[in-house]
Amino acid sequence: MSGSRGRSLAGLLIGLGLIAVAAVIASDAMHMRVPPVHAKVGPRVFPYLVSCGLAVSGAAIAWQAWSRSFLVEAQDTDWGAVAIIAAGLVLQINLLKPLGFVPAAIILFMTVAFAFGSRRLLRDGAVALILAVVTYLAFTRLLGLQLPAGILKGVM
Amino acid sequence: MESFGALMDGFATALTPINLMWSLVGVTLGTLIGILPGIGPALTIALLLPVTRTLDPTGAFIMFAGLYYGAMYGSSTTSILLNTPGESGSIITALEGNQMARRGRGAAALATAAIGSFVAGTVGTLLLSFLAPVFVKLAIMFGPAEYFALMVMAFATVSTLLGASMVRGITSLMIGLAFGLAGTDILTGQPRLVFGIPSMLRGIDTVVVAVGLFAVGEALYMASRRDLREAVVLPIRGSLFMTREEWSRSWKPWLRGTLLGFPFGTLPAGGTEIPTFLSYYVEKKLARNPREFGQGAIEGVAGPEAANNAAVAGVLVPLLALGLPTSATAAILLAAFEQYNLQPGPQLFTASGSLVWGLIASLYIGNVMLLILNLPLAGLWVRLLAIPQPLLYGGILVFSTLGVYSLSNSVFDLVLLFLVGVVGFLMRRYDFPVAPAIIGLILGPMAEAQFRRALTISQGDPSVFVTHPLSLALLVVAALVVVVPSAVAWIRARAEADPV
Repeated sequence: MSGSRGRSLAGLLIGLGLIAVAAVIASDAMHMRVPPVHAKVGPRVFPYLVSCGLAVSGAAIAWQAWSRSFLVEAQDTDWGAVAIIAAGLVLQINLLKPLGFVPAAIILFMTVAFAFGSRRLLRDGAVALILAVVTYLAFTRLLGLQLPAGILKGVM
Repeated sequence: MESFGALMDGFATALTPINLMWSLVGVTLGTLIGILPGIGPALTIALLLPVTRTLDPTGAFIMFAGLYYGAMYGSSTTSILLNTPGESGSIITALEGNQMARRGRGAAALATAAIGSFVAGTVGTLLLSFLAPVFVKLAIMFGPAEYFALMVMAFATVSTLLGASMVRGITSLMIGLAFGLAGTDILTGQPRLVFGIPSMLRGIDTVVVAVGLFAVGEALYMASRRDLREAVVLPIRGSLFMTREEWSRSWKPWLRGTLLGFPFGTLPAGGTEIPTFLSYYVEKKLARNPREFGQGAIEGVAGPEAANNAAVAGVLVPLLALGLPTSATAAILLAAFEQYNLQPGPQLFTASGSLVWGLIASLYIGNVMLLILNLPLAGLWVRLLAIPQPLLYGGILVFSTLGVYSLSNSVFDLVLLFLVGVVGFLMRRYDFPVAPAIIGLILGPMAEAQFRRALTISQGDPSVFVTHPLSLALLVVAALVVVVPSAVAWIRARAEADPV
């Protein structure tokens, strides 16, 4: 692997992040009120083990990052594209109930296509529309599952 | 020969029209997702779980297993023609396969991959038919302590053998175990990592984590890599009928690949990847003309493609007989068994014999279907590779959110999906393997249950894990798997620093 031999900020942050998660898990376990019958092999043992495991791995990664042995493949990361897809997912979460499945799916599809560099909005929109309508009908009519109808309530 | 009789009954189950249809659906879908980069069998089965909840379990498992086999067939096509693996089991196929396609022998590469997959899949299924009952006899000797030790060994091997470094593998495992902790504790009803959110009491569904890591994380990663966006699809050139020379150079690698792949599948080492790398290495060592490797040696396609299919058959042995998943897809299959309240292991063979043997028999039939689907129809499947990446990933994310939402009609699951997806992206970006997390997520709660059961039986005495010989042996293997590679690396580093 072609790695840059520098101190890795990302590695350091990942390591510290893992230690923070370990602390959250440990504190959650500490605050459990466990009946004395279960004191020995109760619900706390595993969280403590996992917390230790995460803390040790986090510390190891942070140490590797600091001592320049956390190798990360040098690559161009298009953070903009990542942010666009993330925004699309957040939109989907907020629009699914109010607008309904079909419009929310179309918006998500087009956002993702845009993030992947497509600028053919008409084509993407047409594909998204067909995909969303067909899946909506297949899921609600054929499989009998519930999907939010939203603004199309009564229309489809 | 009791398993022979059971297998014949299995064929009676598998040959009913409805089960034949499920098998056909499974292998077709498997080939499709195998060919499409970005969707694998683990993700697809996870997405199908909410939809198949009301289905007859036998039909559902026949479809899932056919899908797993089919993905291994389909992925070779992508490796050969696009130089990008359709699945991780076909990474190595791209090396020689794409070179063959560039030199106008793409058709021969596809043929040796498909026929090799057929040979390996059939031999592997045969081994599965006769080994699974043997494993069941072994499983009867397992108590809670042994099961716990077995899972610890699986954790150790999966997290040390996969990925760029052991620390990353273990971190991934721990992330999976942490996801598995969330929710209501089964034995005491104690809420864990719920943070006062009522929806969290149900815990984090396996489907949410699998789809988050495999689909959302993967989509975010692929979008971040502008350099991976445009790939060239090579046309199929040459004859699909292999020449006499190609046959004679292929059959031995097929058999060697099968013999490597099957045992590796049964070991908890993440399934199909490692045996394909080993097979490639072996073929290169044994080749009469090793210099041809890297320029389109047919052995380098035949061996690994047989190995990955045999490994899938191998994966099913410990999954069905012990309930031990050895790959990410097997872990999802285990979640599918849970969905139907079925417990893989000895009881499954006695209580649901028709399901197990129907499933195994369907694999023989599925292999024949796959050979037909993938060889004469290869040209049709190739058109799938023309789907532009923006549309492909748009579709993947729409189906992912749809599948996760329909689990329990909960928008909160979509929020979790998003968060897991971000974790998945970071893991992909910084080279953490994903399979240990999936296996930790599913085996974690089971390991905890066995751990506590063992300690309850022993009245809190932790020595049960080391006084039972089988449990002790498994724990020793687990410790060796972690210690030996680091020791070897340390010795090698010293030898390099101080050459004798």
